[in-house]
Amino acid sequence: MEKRSILHMLDPMPNNSPFDINMAMDAGFDVLMPYSNVKLDSVNRLTQDAIFSRSPAGVKRTGIFIGGRDLGLAIDMLDASKQAMVPPFEVSVFADPSGAFTTAAALVACVEKELKSKHGKELKDCNALVFGGTGPVGIATGIIASLAGADTALVDHLSIEAASDVAKDYNRRFGCSLKGACASSDADKIQLVANADIVFCVAKAGVQVLSSAVLKEAKQLKVAGDVNAVPPMGIEGIKRNDLGAPLIHALSSQGAVGVGALAVGNVKYQLQHEMLKLMLQTNKPLYLDFREAFIKARNLL
Amino acid sequence: MEKPFILHMLTTAKNLSPFDVNMALDAGWVSALPYTNVEASEVQGLVQDAIFSRSTKNLKRTGIFIGGRDTKQAMDMLKLAKRSMVPPFEVSVFADPSGAFTTAAGMVAAVEHELITKFNTTLAGKNILALGGTGPVGQAAAVISAQAGANVRIIGRQLEKAQLIADMCSNEFGDGKITIAAGADADKAEYIKTADVVFATGAAGIELLSAALIASAPQLKVAADVNAVPPAGIAGVDAFHNGTPIDGSSSGAVGIGALAIGNIKYQAQNRLLKKMISSEKPVYLHFEHAFEVARDYIKSNI
Repeated sequence: MEKRSILHMLDPMPNNSPFDINMAMDAGFDVLMPYSNVKLDSVNRLTQDAIFSRSPAGVKRTGIFIGGRDLGLAIDMLDASKQAMVPPFEVSVFADPSGAFTTAAALVACVEKELKSKHGKELKDCNALVFGGTGPVGIATGIIASLAGADTALVDHLSIEAASDVAKDYNRRFGCSLKGACASSDADKIQLVANADIVFCVAKAGVQVLSSAVLKEAKQLKVAGDVNAVPPMGIEGIKRNDLGAPLIHALSSQGAVGVGALAVGNVKYQLQHEMLKLMLQTNKPLYLDFREAFIKARNLL
Repeated sequence: MEKPFILHMLTTAKNLSPFDVNMALDAGWVSALPYTNVEASEVQGLVQDAIFSRSTKNLKRTGIFIGGRDTKQAMDMLKLAKRSMVPPFEVSVFADPSGAFTTAAGMVAAVEHELITKFNTTLAGKNILALGGTGPVGQAAAVISAQAGANVRIIGRQLEKAQLIADMCSNEFGDGKITIAAGADADKAEYIKTADVVFATGAAGIELLSAALIASAPQLKVAADVNAVPPAGIAGVDAFHNGTPIDGSSSGAVGIGALAIGNIKYQAQNRLLKKMISSEKPVYLHFEHAFEVARDYIKSNI
């Protein structure tokens, strides 16, 4: 009898995310096991306990998922898990803390597509701002955009030091070229947005970050993406289902378009679903993070 | 392909109750996932993670259960969960902290059944004493029976605490539409003289109503005891009693014990867990709904 598929879901937080649970079940895993409050130094032991309790055939029906809210920690845990493997006792590992990797990959891929189709531009031709840039989705969005060549700044709503520290930290880790910026008032936002080609809005749900008053000061905005699905939207005038709809309040930017949360969410959903399914289908163990997520998101689109 | 049924089980406690997990899986939920030490401030995030990860069609196959030990916390979390929905992204939520809502519903429905069949009357206008009534089961039973028209008094060892809890029950759980009174345990000999119904919902192993007090209750009709561990909470009512006359009652009162209540509780919890699955529209379930299904169960089994 074929063994049931098991996904061991490691999370440094007190609880797993219901989002990841739903996604993993829907991708076809038979049994999900939550491991909460997991520390980095427990990952080696947890991984080896998972690999040594099943035959190599059974190991293919076993996977490890890494959640949490901290992007750096998730990557460290992914590396620790990978290093703990003892081939042929080896399983696939997928890190997607707070869904940040797949959300960011979907967001950047959607924006990139609109940029190409509506403006004939590539990411490397553009300046990008990431509002809510110091959260997990923001950082991942920034890294992906920066690695794809966009001149990208992470924008924090309180402190430029915080934003710059995060930018430096991740530049060192992933070889990207992020900058930090701060926008605590509409005046700050207007100054930043004036010269931006791309705006990513990944701030807290239910908070309007860019109002029509700010948007009308944007001079060269081409594409704005918003992942906030809870009203009010992060960018005024964007609707949740928009995918390349005109950005009505960006009056001074010719042909600016918006991408809404459900449009991004739809791609993110397919992406996470595909990546989880891949863990069950693959013959060779896979180690998946935001880089693979972005490649797959581009393919999906 | 149809997606599996997933129940996200939230508790403020360190662990889920295995009772609730068994009940959920037996009701047809394929996967029951625990979220422990959950604080009210985390409810919105958890709910929105749950609703935004499935299509609206598959959200019908997704639910949230709220356990824990505290009734007020659970009701607050239920309200928070409901407010966190973003229609059409919405799932059913069922609160049953410590199983108290379904236990209370089972007890009150069983008592009502005895009133109807043995005394040809209803809960309306009855004087009810909820002995050891400051705990979760006592609170929910008080509210359910007050909503059915009874005059309920929550009895506790400290009058002040009982009063606070009675006020909370009236205002928070009863929306201010009911008034539940309070009384001190020391005064129960006085209150028992006008009591029609007694609930014993105190800690296991404590006798809340003695044989002498039962003998001194001229209009007592039904006495229900949720305690399954000897000594019984009500003298002369054992766990197996189910409408059994109580020895020494001059008014012909009958007793309902823990197993009879437990059976209805089980049915009520099972039905609500199934209702989450079968309902076309999202439902938000608590003690009121538990009482409805407990009544339905009793009606269908006569």
